[in-house]
Amino acid sequence: MRARDVVITGLGTAVAGAGGPETLLRGPVAGGDDPVTRLRGPGLRYKDRATRLALCAARDALADAGLPEALDAPEGTEGGGGPLVDGLRFGVVVSTNWGNVDTVCETSATIHRAGYTATSPMLLPNTASNVTASWVAITHGLRGANVTLCNGPTSGLDAVHWARTLIAAGRLDHALVIGVEPVNEPVRRLVGTGGPGLFDGAVSLVAEAAPAAAARGARPLARVGPYARRADPDAAVAAVRADEPAAPARWYVPEGRPAGGDTGPAGLPAHDLSLRWGRSSGALGVLQCVAGTAELARTGQAAALASAGGEGDDGAAALLLLAATAAGAGA
Amino acid sequence: MDPVIVTGVGAVTCHGPGADTLWRAMAAGAVRPPDKLPDPHARMDLPLMYLAPEDGLPQAPGRAASFAVAAAREALSVAGLDPATLPASRTALVLGTCMGGTGEEERRRDRGGADGGAPWTPGFDVVGQVATALGLPGAHTSVSNACSASGFALGMAADLIRAGEADVVVGGGADAYARIALGAFNRMGAVDPLGCRPFAADRAGTVFGEGAAVLVLESAAHAARRGARPLAELAESGWSCDAHHPTAPEPSGAQIVRAMRESLDRSGTAPDAVGCVVPHGTGTRLNDRVESAALREVFAGGAGREVPAVYSLKALVGHTGGAAAGLAAVAATLIVRHATVPPNVPVGPQDPECGVRLPQSAEPLAAPAVLVNAYAFGGNNASFLIREAVPC
Repeated sequence: MRARDVVITGLGTAVAGAGGPETLLRGPVAGGDDPVTRLRGPGLRYKDRATRLALCAARDALADAGLPEALDAPEGTEGGGGPLVDGLRFGVVVSTNWGNVDTVCETSATIHRAGYTATSPMLLPNTASNVTASWVAITHGLRGANVTLCNGPTSGLDAVHWARTLIAAGRLDHALVIGVEPVNEPVRRLVGTGGPGLFDGAVSLVAEAAPAAAARGARPLARVGPYARRADPDAAVAAVRADEPAAPARWYVPEGRPAGGDTGPAGLPAHDLSLRWGRSSGALGVLQCVAGTAELARTGQAAALASAGGEGDDGAAALLLLAATAAGAGA
Repeated sequence: MDPVIVTGVGAVTCHGPGADTLWRAMAAGAVRPPDKLPDPHARMDLPLMYLAPEDGLPQAPGRAASFAVAAAREALSVAGLDPATLPASRTALVLGTCMGGTGEEERRRDRGGADGGAPWTPGFDVVGQVATALGLPGAHTSVSNACSASGFALGMAADLIRAGEADVVVGGGADAYARIALGAFNRMGAVDPLGCRPFAADRAGTVFGEGAAVLVLESAAHAARRGARPLAELAESGWSCDAHHPTAPEPSGAQIVRAMRESLDRSGTAPDAVGCVVPHGTGTRLNDRVESAALREVFAGGAGREVPAVYSLKALVGHTGGAAAGLAAVAATLIVRHATVPPNVPVGPQDPECGVRLPQSAEPLAAPAVLVNAYAFGGNNASFLIREAVPC
């Protein structure tokens, strides 16, 4: 099950004020446009905000990986797939905790106020918890395993881990991992607006079996390293570092880590991305991995450590990202 | 590869708590009309659902969580496992849910608004509540793949064991009444006023049910080391996505055929080694026809070959959403244990375009494996096999 290394070959961001994955460590630029305004196509007004954001990030990650936009279209047609990428072997893993709560709350309120006949049949499909992953699959012709995780603070790292597991288990050759959290009135009401604000956006990465990436000549940006989930965040971090000699150059810490916690194990420089981008909930782990992968690819550093979940949460997870070169694309 | 063994099962349905209760209902095969919801705010033409009785269920914040806790306790008890003795690094919990705690949020709104009281929690609350109530250590994963959520959860649970990341994984799913789900299906005209009647000629949609199902899964080596009694083997699953439409199944059924074949191929099981199918079969017109045709393509593609006996569980317990595939897995385990396909609940004349055999009286399980299908909005398809376990 661990026969195949899993590499990251593409990154995408749909976050106002972010110029791309390489800008995530710097924080938002003022006045950035809402990324969903870049979307074109029919039926957009019937898609919830999380789905629109995810579609933006997914499209950019596929393009960054050098992949066609429509994996199920014949080779040679506009946006069509190539001979080395099979949409049947391409899956989607979405992590979101708030997701389609806007549609759910608004539909629930409509039923409460005026009965079910007042609801819009066009919006009812959006009440399903997996609607975002479904639309990403439909849009890009991705017919492999399609998984939605709503798994609390660790959900984003769990999603990266599950994408890797699906590939390692031979279920998939490629996976689009998306972390998305929308900000809208229901989210603000239900989650609360205290603290450093709320993350409103989506981030995405393309994970592939190293041989599949090599076969199509893709450029690996990083490898997905060890992952662990434990009740205690320190135990999770210790578990992923136990058998991995590569020393991380950065530590992406759980959001809301207490003040003063700006250095990690062995004095690692710590980054709380939620201080720059807002509380990211289910998107956090993917945000960490997209930022970390961009940084590894830019600097050539050996490893980056990501961790999520902490005191008061029901679990904690940690994941190491490793430099691409140690495995080689064809490993 | 070391097989994944089922050593415990637990269930909650409209027939009450307990896998034994479920089996007695399966063996009786009697028609149970759906309940009329006792919710004054369920202002819809067909406020119907198969409700799980609350008597004897554990206290938990939320109906779905209380069902899941009851099913998990039963499954662990049957398996003879004490959660306190399980190491966190080798244990996991993977549950699927469709509506999660949405019903609780609706009731809180009824009481005067969502802003007061305890903080709102989304779907992953169910898995957290189970882990807390049982003191179950290790990684917890909440799968949100709509009505196939527990099918994916069980596949993920088994993959954790096959990948060598866990020895014991508690897997399954739970769902409870949420006004929004029933309102949406009323709006789409997809509720059958007579009950959940998959494959019936005059079926008019589905009827939801409440419930939970939990299976204790172990590596065969772990089960053997502690002398556990194997109930069945959870063989490989096959997954696919229609990538076609947010709600409707893809009419050719190509991707559900692929999921079934992947499950059979990965499990090294020939179609004629399958003695029964527990279908997704919801009672919606297109789903049942597409699934019937897909079953014929997978199983009846050659001379003299037939689709195995189909046991239509949803006619007995309703469409339990995120718990549906888990309950189908429990039912399949019971079918394997009893080596009997129970009588299907009578639903009236069968749709001639659903060319599958639904036995009306109990019959011996003709081959050692049972195939379970689980589908969902978004075309999220999962199929998996439950079969006789080789003794540990």
